This record gives sequence, C-alpha cells and structure tokens, in this order.
Amino acid sequence: MSQPQKILIVDDERFNVNVLVDLLKPNYKIMVAINGQQAIKAAHSSVPPDLILLDIMMPEMDGYEVCQQLKSDPSTKDIPIIFVTAMGQQQDETKGLELGASDYLTKPIVPAIVEARVKTQLALKHTLEELRSAYKLIESQKKRMQTELDVGRDIQLAMVPKIFPQSDDYSVFAILEPAREVGGDFFDVFHIDEERICLVIGDVSGKGVPAALFMAMAKTLIKSRASTDSSTASIVTHVNDELSTDNDGYLFVTLYLCILNTQTGELLTTNAGHNPPLIRTTSGEITALSRLDGPVVAAVEGIAYKEGIFQLNKGDSLLMFTDGVTEADAIDGKFFGDPRLKKIFSTRENVSTKKFVLGLLQQVHDFEGEERQADDITILALDFFGLDLTERKKELELKIKNKLSDIDLVTESFMDFSLSSDIPKQIKGTVCMALDDLLTNIINYAYTDESEHEISIKVSIIDNAVVTVISDEGIPFNPFQQLSPNTDASIDEREIGRLGVYLVKQMFDQVYYQRNIGRNVVTLVKNIREAK
Amino acid sequence: MSIKSEFEGGTLIVSTDQRLDTNTAPEAEKVITNAIENGSCNVVMNFSDTDYISSAGLRVILKSAKLLKPKQGIIVLCNANEQITEVLEISGFSGLVKIFNTLDEAMSAFN
Repeated sequence: MSQPQKILIVDDERFNVNVLVDLLKPNYKIMVAINGQQAIKAAHSSVPPDLILLDIMMPEMDGYEVCQQLKSDPSTKDIPIIFVTAMGQQQDETKGLELGASDYLTKPIVPAIVEARVKTQLALKHTLEELRSAYKLIESQKKRMQTELDVGRDIQLAMVPKIFPQSDDYSVFAILEPAREVGGDFFDVFHIDEERICLVIGDVSGKGVPAALFMAMAKTLIKSRASTDSSTASIVTHVNDELSTDNDGYLFVTLYLCILNTQTGELLTTNAGHNPPLIRTTSGEITALSRLDGPVVAAVEGIAYKEGIFQLNKGDSLLMFTDGVTEADAIDGKFFGDPRLKKIFSTRENVSTKKFVLGLLQQVHDFEGEERQADDITILALDFFGLDLTERKKELELKIKNKLSDIDLVTESFMDFSLSSDIPKQIKGTVCMALDDLLTNIINYAYTDESEHEISIKVSIIDNAVVTVISDEGIPFNPFQQLSPNTDASIDEREIGRLGVYLVKQMFDQVYYQRNIGRNVVTLVKNIREAK
Repeated sequence: MSIKSEFEGGTLIVSTDQRLDTNTAPEAEKVITNAIENGSCNVVMNFSDTDYISSAGLRVILKSAKLLKPKQGIIVLCNANEQITEVLEISGFSGLVKIFNTLDEAMSAFN
C-alpha cells in the first residue's frame, strides 16, 4: 500500500460530497461523481477506484442501478461499494447488499464510522487481490506439474509390455496401474533364449519425466545385458554401475530380477532392495523369496550384487509385486499388508494368471475404497507347468578343483551323461576334446597363486545342440582372441601352442567368451547334425 | 591306463587308450620316446580303441615326428575315427604325417 488508495465518492448533493471529501482527503486520493453516468465512467478510468461510496437517491440513474451495472461488468465487479443512504430503512440496505454492495452507511454520517468502514473494505480488497494472484500462481504451477506427470506416465505405460510370451511350460501375466501422482513402477517379461525367460519388476524413486526416463534406461540396460549374460547378479551389477555414474538426479530403483529356466524350473534371482516375491506350491503353501542381494540400484557405484537359486516345481506359482499393493491404505488408515496378500495368493482358485492378477488388483481397489490410489500398483504372476525334474535329464553340472587329474572326472561324467542322450559319437569326442583343452589351459595358466580354485562346468542339450559352459575365477582371459597357429608349417617349424583353442574354435558352431563378476565364462555350442 | 605297445621288426606299434588327452598323453609320450631312444626308427599309432584326441595327443605326435626325423624315421597313424580325422585335418597334421585306414596298410608303408 505504498500509493494512497483511491476512493470514488458519488452523490448529487454538493454538501454531502464536501463532507466526505473533507473527511477522507488526508489519507486517500479522492474522485468525485455527481450522477450515475459519471460514476460508471469514473469506475472504468485507467486508474480505477479501490472503493466507491455510492449515494442511493440520485436523479435519472439511482445508486442501485449504478451498483447493478458495475457488479455485472467483469472489469469493475471487484471494486467494493459502500452505499450511503439517507433513508436508514432496513429494506433499502438489504436491497443494496443483495445487489453486491459490501456495506452501507447511514446519513447523517458519523466520521469515525465512515473511516472505519472504508479502512476495512480497502484492507479486504487488498487481501483478496493478494489471494487471487497467489491462487493464479498455484494454478499455473499445478498445470505445469500435471502436464509433466502426464508425459511421465505416458512414457511409463508405453514401456511395459502388453503382450506376454506364451508357452506350454508356463503362463505369465502382469499389470501396471499408475497412480495419479506418485509413480515409477515398471516391469518387463522377455525370453532370453528358447528356454529361459527373464522377469523384471522395479520401482523408481521420484516421479514425472525424470523418473520415467530413468526407468527407460534401467529397462533397456537390463534387457540388452540379459541377452548375453545369464547371471542375474552380473546383470544387476552392470546396470548399477551404468546408472550410478552421472546420476545427477539422485534417483534410484528397487529391482527384482529373475531368470527362469522353463525346462528345469531353476529360478535365478537377484533382489536389489525390492519387496520379496512370493512362491505358491500346488498345496497353497507360501514361501517368500526373502533373500537380499544388495542395495537399491543406482545409489552406490561398484557394488557386486549376489544371486540365489530357487527350484520351482511343477505347478508352482510366482507372484511379484510393488509396494503399491501391500501399502495400499484404506480410509481408516489400515494397510493392505503382506499377510492379506499371502492369504489371497494361498487361497487362489484354479484360474488363469490373467484372471488372478486382475482379481487381485480389484481386491486392492476394493480395500482402498474411496481413497484415491496413492502409489503405482504392479502385479506380475507366473505359473510354472514344467515337467518334473526326473522326467528329463538334459543337463550335466559339476564343479572341479584346478587339478589336471580332475579333468578325467569331467570327461567321464560327460560320457556317462551322453549315454542317456542320442549325441553322435563324433560330437561326444569333440566335446571331450574341448573340455580337455580348455580346462587344461585354465588349470595351467589362469591362476597367479598356488591355492585351490573351483571351476564349474555345465553341459546341456538345448534345441538339438550341445551347449557347454565353463566358468572359472582366474585372471580375465579371452581364449578366442588368440592368434591362430600356423597350420601349414613343416614338422621342424611346427609349434604345439594355441592348437587346442584353435581346434575348439574350428570344430564348434559357436563360441563365446564373457567376463562376469570375477569369472571367465566360455560358452561352446555344437549343433547335433545327422551323422555323416 | 591301457596303452598297448608291441614291436614288429624295428617298428613300434602303439595302441592308444580310449582317449588321448592331457591325462593320458604323458604315458603315450613316454612309451614312444623310450622306444625311439632304444633304437626304433618307425612308429605306428593305432587309434582303433580311441574315442577322441585333444591337442595333448597332437603334441605326442609332433614330438615323435621331431624325434624321428634325424633318424630318417617316420610316424604314421591308423584307424582314426571321425573326431580324430577332423582334428588331424583342422590342425594341419594330415599334411605332416601319413594316415592309413588299417594297421595292415600302415605297416605296409614301411616295406
């Protein structure tokens, strides 16, 4: 209120005008109008009055009409009007107030009352103006935030799969229902190869566009890494390192990543600060996959995450979810909670995964009642129909120490294993040769100390191919990067080095090397063709 | 270990084990090296009982060939199955040593 406020006095009696002018002049800027038309014109001036003192009884256009006109015009409707009436009759005062006047004064005027009423109206007007501009600011901010949240949600929803892989070995379904405001859930379901399916569920801290973009990065990193890395620990470690570098927004994500071998039921899991998923057996028994393999992802760089193995049996179901399910709250402040979720899962009827997931979502909504959904809700369920382990023996897995004599254990176990399969003799020999050559190299050259080390070997028959995976904890070394030996040299010039790896490279259909956390992993694929 | 060795004239015939790899090659190598030191000039490696060889087996063949060369002796191979034949071809050894289908054919190489 640095400038004096402006008051318009409207009265056709010069005497009345003078009394009011004399009274108010010391504190306010005064404008005078002696009839209705002048009053309306003055109200529309470039510097309009902050308050109007309006006489009712005037010729041609009376005070009521002036008031009506000013109040129906948006540019003047907010100027407070105090009627000044000589009549002192209740009815006239009521009529004035109904027309939108703020107050009234009765003639003959009492100076102290006039001053008090004027002061009050001007203060009210000032406060109202402040509130209006604050409200306007809030509205524009709110609109901007909502737009951003909407964009974030669109990205989020566009990112999660809507079509799920189908198989005789399992059934999977998932849903993400975004909350109005808080959010950041995501999930993914995809096949890594014919046998293995990767399931991911996560919850990014934060909301809006930054969270959605972070989520997109996390999802993309996981998927691309999973295509060549079969260790959930290694995938999460890699993703954590990528996301925690230059993480200026200090966002993070809780993550549960698992890879299911749909043939054997082996479930490889890594939990980075996420709600433990639940397993249900055919009898309705519930187990929580409660192991924790590291902190939330993107918070700390250089963490080596761990992994666990859980064996799914025929008929088992897996339920993954975000805290939007268990922390859903009702009006009375109660949470949906883990016990309720476990009970619903345990007593699940024999319905499809889709029906179960949608039913569970409905139960969460019913629980919340009129409460608005506070957080994203994501539910992912998988039923494992797979065959019993005993029904097929398609895999050989063993661990040996770094002793050359242990190689015999491997080749002999492989020969026993291959008896029960129809691998051609020639391929058996080729696999044995590769095991012998690669294990010999590892045992002789991979370690810089004298201590005992473990080497693991896995041979499986997948899609008419023998897949051999050898993994050791030796120094990083990619055997397939070695130069090829000169196979045209004469007996005298001929050297024996590097021949083993060369034979493996030439005789297998595909060979891969990968460095996982502290381990060299070599994968060999030999297609089983009709014998020549 | 069941490496069998016999002599026919000055020729050593070695019948290798079911496999010729890291753990069995040292014995085959010892048998052949001893024979060469004791005057044998030719060696036949008979793979009729052998399922596969690895590079350790190739090492034995190469070492024998190198030892025999100054004595104008040779090493020949016979009865190689598909895996062994493939290894010999890929490694280039089929260009270094003669390979015969049967032991009789291999023996006739020295006549």
